Amino acid sequence: MSEETIDRSTLPIRRPPFAGVTGKTLEGSEPDWNQAAHVMPPEGAPNVLVVLIDDAGFGNPSTFGGAIDTPNYTRMADQGLRYNRFHVTAVCSPTRAAMLTGRNHHRVGFGLVAEFSGPFPGYNATIPRDCATLPRVLQENGYMTSAIGKWHLTPDDQQGASGPFNRWPNGLGFDYYWGFLGGEAGQYDPLITENQKVLGVPEGKDGKPYYFPDDMPDKATDWLHRVRAERPGAPWFMYYATGCSHAPHQVPREWSDRYQGKFDQGWDVAREQTLARQKELGVVPPDTELPQNDAFPQWDSLSDTEKRLYARQMEVYAGYSENADWNVGRVLAAIEEMGELDDTLVIWIWGDNGASMEGTLSGTFNELTTLNGIPLTTEQQMGLLFKHGGLEAWGGELMAPHYSSAWAWASNCPFDWGKQVASHLGGTRNPLVVRFPEAIADPGGLRSQFTHVIDIAPTVLEIAGIPAPTHVDGIEQERLHGFTFADSLSSPEAPERHTQQYFEAVGNRAMYKDGWWLAMRLPRIPWQLDPEVLRGFGPGWDPDDDPVELYYLPDDFAQARDLAGEHPEKVEELRKLFWEEAERYQVLPILGGLSSFYGIVPPIPKESRFTYRGRIENVAAGMIPRIYNHSYAIKADIVVPEGGVEGVILAAFDHLGGFALYVQDGKLKHHYSMLGVFEYTQESDTALPAGEVGVEVVFAADEAKPATGGEVTLLVNGDPVASGRMEHTVPARFSGYAGMDIGCDNGLVVDRSYADKAPFRFTGEIKQVTFDIAPDLSDEDAQLLHEHAQQGLAAHAASA
Amino acid sequence: MSEETLDVLIAVYLIPDLAQEDFDSFVDLAEAKTISIEGVALVTKDADGEVKVQETGDHLGHKGAAAGGGVGLALGLFAPPLLAATAVGAALGGLTGKFARKRVQAGIGEKMDDALPPGSAGIIAIYDHADADAVSGALANTIRKSVAEIDKASAKELKTGLEEAGAGLAG
Repeated sequence: MSEETIDRSTLPIRRPPFAGVTGKTLEGSEPDWNQAAHVMPPEGAPNVLVVLIDDAGFGNPSTFGGAIDTPNYTRMADQGLRYNRFHVTAVCSPTRAAMLTGRNHHRVGFGLVAEFSGPFPGYNATIPRDCATLPRVLQENGYMTSAIGKWHLTPDDQQGASGPFNRWPNGLGFDYYWGFLGGEAGQYDPLITENQKVLGVPEGKDGKPYYFPDDMPDKATDWLHRVRAERPGAPWFMYYATGCSHAPHQVPREWSDRYQGKFDQGWDVAREQTLARQKELGVVPPDTELPQNDAFPQWDSLSDTEKRLYARQMEVYAGYSENADWNVGRVLAAIEEMGELDDTLVIWIWGDNGASMEGTLSGTFNELTTLNGIPLTTEQQMGLLFKHGGLEAWGGELMAPHYSSAWAWASNCPFDWGKQVASHLGGTRNPLVVRFPEAIADPGGLRSQFTHVIDIAPTVLEIAGIPAPTHVDGIEQERLHGFTFADSLSSPEAPERHTQQYFEAVGNRAMYKDGWWLAMRLPRIPWQLDPEVLRGFGPGWDPDDDPVELYYLPDDFAQARDLAGEHPEKVEELRKLFWEEAERYQVLPILGGLSSFYGIVPPIPKESRFTYRGRIENVAAGMIPRIYNHSYAIKADIVVPEGGVEGVILAAFDHLGGFALYVQDGKLKHHYSMLGVFEYTQESDTALPAGEVGVEVVFAADEAKPATGGEVTLLVNGDPVASGRMEHTVPARFSGYAGMDIGCDNGLVVDRSYADKAPFRFTGEIKQVTFDIAPDLSDEDAQLLHEHAQQGLAAHAASA
Repeated sequence: MSEETLDVLIAVYLIPDLAQEDFDSFVDLAEAKTISIEGVALVTKDADGEVKVQETGDHLGHKGAAAGGGVGLALGLFAPPLLAATAVGAALGGLTGKFARKRVQAGIGEKMDDALPPGSAGIIAIYDHADADAVSGALANTIRKSVAEIDKASAKELKTGLEEAGAGLAG
């Protein structure tokens, strides 16, 4: 098709009218080869590589003055441009949804994350069809498209073989996808999905554990090599989203040990050092002041043990992050080796939000303890850390750690607060590097136009010469909300088009306009999500009564000088503008994503029995029957061969939270890990009989309430064979990423006693496993538990 | 009362050299006769998993009070939930078995193997209950410690004390 005949405003692009002649036979017929041609992008449309790092701060990479060595990021910046006023949404999925659609996150249903679909348009976690994604637009214009790594835009309960798949990567414009669908993954034991199939947990090679970050470049390069071989002339678009630096912070020691002693000075001094380097680099103005925050303890007030523990936490985070830089460098090297780096628009964002504060002040050995609302003192955290391997294990495969929130604060230097806190730059301003040699006249330059993640799509489209479509699949499209900054590549003086922007995440709000920033932080510490804290924002709460701060950013780069008292008229102006924008972009109701905390919950699901026939492996975390907070029974019909049997009948999640029913030494056993805080095991005294056998684990809850205790009974052919008490159970979620298997225990196992035999496949036959998750539940209890379950989901969502 | 009772203490550490500091402080107190001890051991496990009993202080401050010939019977009877299968208490039993230095060195390393994760340490000490405050001040770097009182003369009391101390660690 010639460019003149292509109408790119309506997608899919329509085939042009037949311009040939058809006779009764080929004799006399004239061909029109446009009928069989592939759509190609406009001439000169470049490859596009978008790299997105997870849960990281402005002050992390050395490229922007941070303490973490990022040579590849720096190379891209030195050959390209640093943008020091680039903004994100303050939370994971919202930033991804905004970036991939070019629209504000609430308008595309992502006021919060994919784990929780709220009952309001701005929070339903469903990208609407009138907001086609950038990859879909590029795909329809002839680009080859792929996504590698973290996704986090598919609802939690739609990540199974039953679909629907229209919110998976393939359904949103990517030809190819490889990575993990959720918000996080164990770096050593991710549940990998390729296109529309969950593949499972990969195994390591050469005696080394599998490590997801090191595999990402291989998969990316494999795809690039293949599509380039098949279509030498077509450009590609790759979205490369790391799981790093999201928790669990896991990296081999060879990386973390590079930072041994580098953070012994603590977060207070580290912030000052980072700021000094930032000034030297010129990525912040020379008069930048550090905002202070008494939510974080002064380093000097800590005990020696705390200092050593916290310093190690940051060493691991730093090594983990440097590894991500190294692996992106491997992708860049592959592109360079293909001879295409200079034809590729590289857009590399260091953080989808500011660094995460969800580890609480002490950091945690298991991030899921925080998300389940389990309060652990520093002493308890240390005791559990000791139990799970001590400081040496921090960063290893057997722990799921998250560093202290104060390190996140330092990571976001020079800004205040961090992830979730959309009211402040610590949550919303992240480094951006763009490399595109043909457009950039001053490599190594700095750009300070106000830019936002919704500007990525319009910028890519402009550089590719592709218009934003007015219609896709017959559906009229919402305009792009972002603004192109393509001309800033060639000109430092390019006009600043993005002059106003609202921010909202988990109730934290801000309004930016022409240099002024009104910060309206929800008066809540980001790592507190329990109902008591949130109750204050229910009926009767007036957001306009919350304290506000006002900053004039041209004079105050890091929001250190609150001008609210001096400019009440500006406060009112921006507050009014925020509400207008909130209405325009579906932000309302504020806290719509946490509605379950205020009694607004979906109907109770009708299904309470789930049967898994045969061997089904790698069921994603969100797809598993919800056994939380009440009685339940799990029954397995198995066949035991003569001579005995061993192995796992059912295993869900891992030793840091999970349960397993298995046969070991001929005996039926049940093991339950309450997030690694408590562990319970019951086992029969005698071996299982041969033949067809029904085995069952029954949990009789004390009462239907969060984290209820109760009695466990194991039965064989209906007869009790073992019993025991579980004083505490998991109230909301066992794991952020591990899965469930029938007939084996893939990935990290639930009970370490059989770790040396993993995956400990069952040597008999499993006919079926049936969950009955509501055997004796009254309607009233069912409703109460349903509300709690929804709150748990929402709490997890707010932190994912 | 202090003349008749001992404190059985188990303290664990995330950082071995901070355990060493506490151990040194403890020994300093004993050498200065500020406290009266029956025995003390510092057990470390290095990053490669090798367990060492770095020092014992059983020669210090020992007043010769008999803790009972049956003390060693506590060996193997101790299994606190936190240190389940850890045998810290067993090591303690070994330590208190008349505090024979050789026996301490021969037994503790092996028995602490399961108790300590790599790169950690523990202190086990028995001292006069009257010195509890001074000891507590000396062990500033422990992440968890548990203390039980025992009768100097009773092996049965020691067993109970071991269990109490272990249970305290698990809480």
